[in-house]
Amino acid sequence: MNTYYAANLLIYAGVDIIAVLALNLQFGVSGIVNFSFIVFQAAGAYAAAVLSMPPHTAADYSFQVYIGGYQLPFPIPWIGGALAGALLAIPVGLVVLRKLRSDYQAIALLVTSIIANTVINNARPFLNGAAGLALVPQPLQDQVDTNTDSYLYLYIALTAVCVGLVWFVAARIVNSPYGRTLRAMREHELAATALGKNPVALKMTMFIVGGAIAGLSGAILVGFLTVWAPSTWLYPETIILFAALIVGGRGNNLGAILGALLVPVGFEEVTRLMIRLNIGPPNLIPALEWVVIGLFILGFLWFRPEGVRPEQRHVFEGSPHPEIEDRVVAA
Amino acid sequence: MLVAQDVHRHFEGMHAVDGVSLDVPRGQITGLIGPNGAGKSTFMAVVAGTLPASAGRIFFEGADITRLPAYRRARLGLVRTFQLPSEFARLTVLENLLVAAPHNRGDSLFGALMGRRYWREDEERLVTEARGLLKRFGMSAKESDYAGLMSGGQKRLIEIMRALMLHPRCLLLDEPMSGVHPRVVEQIRYYLQSLRAEGLTILMVEHELHLVEQLCDSVFVMAQGKLIGSGTMAGLRRQREIVDAYLVG
Repeated sequence: MNTYYAANLLIYAGVDIIAVLALNLQFGVSGIVNFSFIVFQAAGAYAAAVLSMPPHTAADYSFQVYIGGYQLPFPIPWIGGALAGALLAIPVGLVVLRKLRSDYQAIALLVTSIIANTVINNARPFLNGAAGLALVPQPLQDQVDTNTDSYLYLYIALTAVCVGLVWFVAARIVNSPYGRTLRAMREHELAATALGKNPVALKMTMFIVGGAIAGLSGAILVGFLTVWAPSTWLYPETIILFAALIVGGRGNNLGAILGALLVPVGFEEVTRLMIRLNIGPPNLIPALEWVVIGLFILGFLWFRPEGVRPEQRHVFEGSPHPEIEDRVVAA
Repeated sequence: MLVAQDVHRHFEGMHAVDGVSLDVPRGQITGLIGPNGAGKSTFMAVVAGTLPASAGRIFFEGADITRLPAYRRARLGLVRTFQLPSEFARLTVLENLLVAAPHNRGDSLFGALMGRRYWREDEERLVTEARGLLKRFGMSAKESDYAGLMSGGQKRLIEIMRALMLHPRCLLLDEPMSGVHPRVVEQIRYYLQSLRAEGLTILMVEHELHLVEQLCDSVFVMAQGKLIGSGTMAGLRRQREIVDAYLVG
């Protein structure tokens, strides 16, 4: 295994872990079926790209057109990516989360994902349309040689710091009274409302927090890949993240990480390897990949809906049942 | 304490609540009875803010709350329970109670991010309070069990305890005894009487008329969306048109 392959794997793992942790906050904990999740990752990637790239009129960049081009130094593009995800969540959330019932919210968000991809695909002057953006500068590339193993290690370390930061935020939310309120809203929104909880505010907050984290994951990814195009964020990418969460365990941060490692990273790597080994006719493995992901989702929802690592029961000190194994000691 | 003035609720031409006016006195249990489809639950939902009124006004403690959303009415102390069990199934019984508790510094995004040290004191205080309620309602042994696994009667008790965690000034109970084992019915009856003795105001929809007679200081009767009578249960039994409406529907 060469260093680049290992780095590629680790950085993808980091990005997917961040994304699935964000989706866990939205779907696993709060019950928001965000079928447009990938749009927020894309927003972060595009924002990070145009914040770090020079204007499209610059030499070497004139083959593409895009807005912005501010050449801002690291870490501003990553922060900008997170902000873009959060800012995009505000109008989308206000339209979708205020009036619609949760099943209609899911449909509206799926449609939003398709519309956003179609618009970016066809509006070339905005973000270079279907061809996407290329030559996106890598973080700190003016200070470190990006063609070295050291730079790969640095990128892995930066990604790991972001994973740690997102884990910290997610853990604090899930294990707090606020997380309990979010779980209550997920279980019975009307009853939570009758207890003085404002479901729109709760959902909007988690939509924005999740959007910011998704945006950060996109910024990390585009900084590594140096390219970003509509074909990289089609709506099925969201389904893969949902599959990861369903397999790993909804409502459990460790389950989210496990799911990210099993599905988008592990499963896709296995299929990639099978393609390299020329198993079966061409395109058989990519086609079967979707079939298997669909079966993963159906199989887990049918036989183990709580996932590999189910949501933990929150048991308090002094409980009459100290024997409960899945307890989280709270208060 | 709670006043409804000419409250209407229409569903595409169907008048589920049709000009209901009533006054719920402070510190009493007021019953709301009527045949199925009379509009009682819809009226309760309109009072609680779960459904908006098509017309009319609702006052609570003298303030017009007609336009307030449900969560703000709950924060004012007007707290409802539901006709069907509405427990938070994958939360423990104790957590169900803690969700309702106001004034927890950890119950905001900022508070959550600040960490346990920031909200531990509030949490410990509320856990103590919730355990007190569990003890009073005889459910201490169940605190760590998932609420979704409780019996129908226990779910009713959870709902009432959960509402009490909000320190309500007026409870809106929608058929709190329906589908409940007779032994638990007696328990609930006892608790409601003791809550009234402590000064809590209760408006209660109930089908079991003998319970209404035992519990309620005054009773309103609804049929076909309208209020057709009020008084004590004994007095209502003597009114022929009330008996007919209730029996015939």
